[in-house]
Amino acid sequence: MSKFFVVFKREYAQVVKKKSFLVGIFLTPALMAAFVMLPAFLARQKASETEHLAVIDQSGSGIGAAFAKALERYFIDDEETVPYYAVDRIIELDRADSSGRAAVEDSLRLLINDKELKYFLVVGEDASGGEADLYLVTNSDNFRSISWFEQRLSDLLSARRLEKSNVNLSIDSVLSLTQPIDLTIQDAKGESIPFMVKYFSALVFVGIMFGMMIGYGQLVMRSVIEEKNSRIMEVLISSVSPFQLMLGKIIGLGAATLTQVAIWFALGAVMFVMRSAVSVDPSIDRIVFDPVIIVFFILFLVSGYLLFSTLFALVGSIVNTEKEAQNFVAPITILMVLPFLLGIAVVQEPNSTLAVALSLFPFTAPTMMMMRVVFIAPTVAEHSLFSGIAAEATLSFLIVVAAVAGMIWLTSRIFRVGILMYGKRPTLPEIIKWVKY
Amino acid sequence: MFLKLDSICKTYDDKVAVDNLSLEVPQGVLYGIIGPNGAGKTTTIRMIMDITAPDSGKVLIDGKRLDRHFRNRVGYLPEERGLYRKMTLLEIMLYMAELKGCPARNVKKNCDKWLKRMDLLEYKDKKVEELSKGMQQKLQFITTILHDPDLIILDELFSGLDPLNIELIKDILLELKRAGKTILFSTHVMEQAEKLCDHICMISRGRKVIDGSMAEVKSRFGKNSIQLEVVGDGGFVSSLAGIKKVTDFNNYLELELEQNADTDAILKSVAQRVSVRRFALVEPSLYSIFIDMAGGEPPDPGSAGEVADV
Repeated sequence: MSKFFVVFKREYAQVVKKKSFLVGIFLTPALMAAFVMLPAFLARQKASETEHLAVIDQSGSGIGAAFAKALERYFIDDEETVPYYAVDRIIELDRADSSGRAAVEDSLRLLINDKELKYFLVVGEDASGGEADLYLVTNSDNFRSISWFEQRLSDLLSARRLEKSNVNLSIDSVLSLTQPIDLTIQDAKGESIPFMVKYFSALVFVGIMFGMMIGYGQLVMRSVIEEKNSRIMEVLISSVSPFQLMLGKIIGLGAATLTQVAIWFALGAVMFVMRSAVSVDPSIDRIVFDPVIIVFFILFLVSGYLLFSTLFALVGSIVNTEKEAQNFVAPITILMVLPFLLGIAVVQEPNSTLAVALSLFPFTAPTMMMMRVVFIAPTVAEHSLFSGIAAEATLSFLIVVAAVAGMIWLTSRIFRVGILMYGKRPTLPEIIKWVKY
Repeated sequence: MFLKLDSICKTYDDKVAVDNLSLEVPQGVLYGIIGPNGAGKTTTIRMIMDITAPDSGKVLIDGKRLDRHFRNRVGYLPEERGLYRKMTLLEIMLYMAELKGCPARNVKKNCDKWLKRMDLLEYKDKKVEELSKGMQQKLQFITTILHDPDLIILDELFSGLDPLNIELIKDILLELKRAGKTILFSTHVMEQAEKLCDHICMISRGRKVIDGSMAEVKSRFGKNSIQLEVVGDGGFVSSLAGIKKVTDFNNYLELELEQNADTDAILKSVAQRVSVRRFALVEPSLYSIFIDMAGGEPPDPGSAGEVADV
């Protein structure tokens, strides 16, 4: 039996046999789902108590009172009908009374500060004329309430403007005539995938890659550090070559990675069959069944893992403690999370120069290219396997493969010396000497 | 297996660790490399194990250069001990044997045999971290010999072992030697080497001081020493005629004689002053030979069984 395989077997078993492996398999998707769904769930929750408002009306035409009436909206709480909004006071002021308005505003601001009022609206003298001198004072960021106020005010003021003009139409018919249009978006294929569907799919694919690369990559590093620290390294090296040891470790833990992803795929398939039970946009099929996305997900997962775990093995071989290693882990992590950090910029313009450049640089390529593939591949007109994005992804993959080969060479040179060096962390010139040695 | 080192040298930066060292280890002997800490013992052993490459010179096993096959026939216990803390005893033994090319099914029954002999059988399925330091040392010794190697290399063998376990391991080493295995070990504790070795090589500051079979080395120095044990202070003996040097071992004194010294006269003079419990004409100890040959660089004489490496 090859010694590589002996090391491979141990490293694989050490991970897969642990309870934490099983926990990770089920806990991670659960956390991920919670992370995605919780904000949406919370946002859909009904308001739990009435919000109190005040209005300062300087328009002289009763806009404040009309607004208070327009706000009528109720929710049911314990079988009781409770108003969403309560306009506690409407303060009507004379148009010219600017000092009076300032005094009232100051006193209302204090109420806001003491949380007795949530909002107060100021309707200025010109509001009814159409030139809006309107503002809302609040410390709240409840965008649903604020947009509700905006809509009501906008309807109210439109009606007023219409009254003043000489157009002989009812308000309702004007509103229906000026109904804003909802632009349907189609891609080159003539279909449409909502932005959020693409965005969350990309986050899931890239998130799994990131998690595997950082999680198992660091496991490689820790395993090397453990063998250095426990001094078992010297016995190992008298039995296997450093190269066999390094590859056995990287590929053994890589096999554990693939096991975990394969189980997730199987779980995913089960959930996918039941997807009609949950309200998932049907366009998700076009992402999940796109061959380019599936193929490159596997290719980038494997090549990205190999690239980063080799880098982590390099770090493990030159440091003495995990604490020392943390200095190296931070910059490596930043390379990996770059697509997340640039997230919105990339998804809005997946073909921007920056996005393309980062998908050709080996250490950002796996995650960045994957992000772009998820966004572009389902939208191209031709079969995605023969599209430009598939060609680009292939180029990017080849660059990563070349980098993996280079990293394995470099790391194996440093590894065989570094693993037997205890004590002082080597300087860069020393490490360069090891490479040549 | 026999082993030959042919003028090997190793320099770290500006420090010469091993300087033109040659030695031969015949098959089926217990061979001791002896010298104080920092003499170059570990570096020499690491070059034999092909962990570090010599700057110049050759290491030959059965007359051939080191190869991959050689690794499987050697058992190696490094000076710095360590095992995977989270593996069970059985797992780690099988893993180490497999790394030496022995399939697990072939060594399984030997595992029990050795665990029993080392009094560790009840811990077979426990994790290594549950063992005491001394037990871990014994376990590591098992992993060194479990794959039935022909050449066994033990760096600072006795460090960290209590006297009882030293006896246990000595017995095993003698059995292995009788079975034709070649055993090479290093130590800085001369008394132990003196009791155990067939052959020795003394090194100091990376250079060979003297080597050969124990009998050869000692006879080269002749019976020119007196071991003296007295009741009371024996410090005065250095002033007696015919005494070249006195080594005070606290419990007894070793007197190195000048050529043609009159031993009867010495005994008489000593007996006049103090009561003599023992007066024996002997071969010199390895310790005094070392002092003699290495030239005034005394290793610590009394430190039985522990290492103070930094």
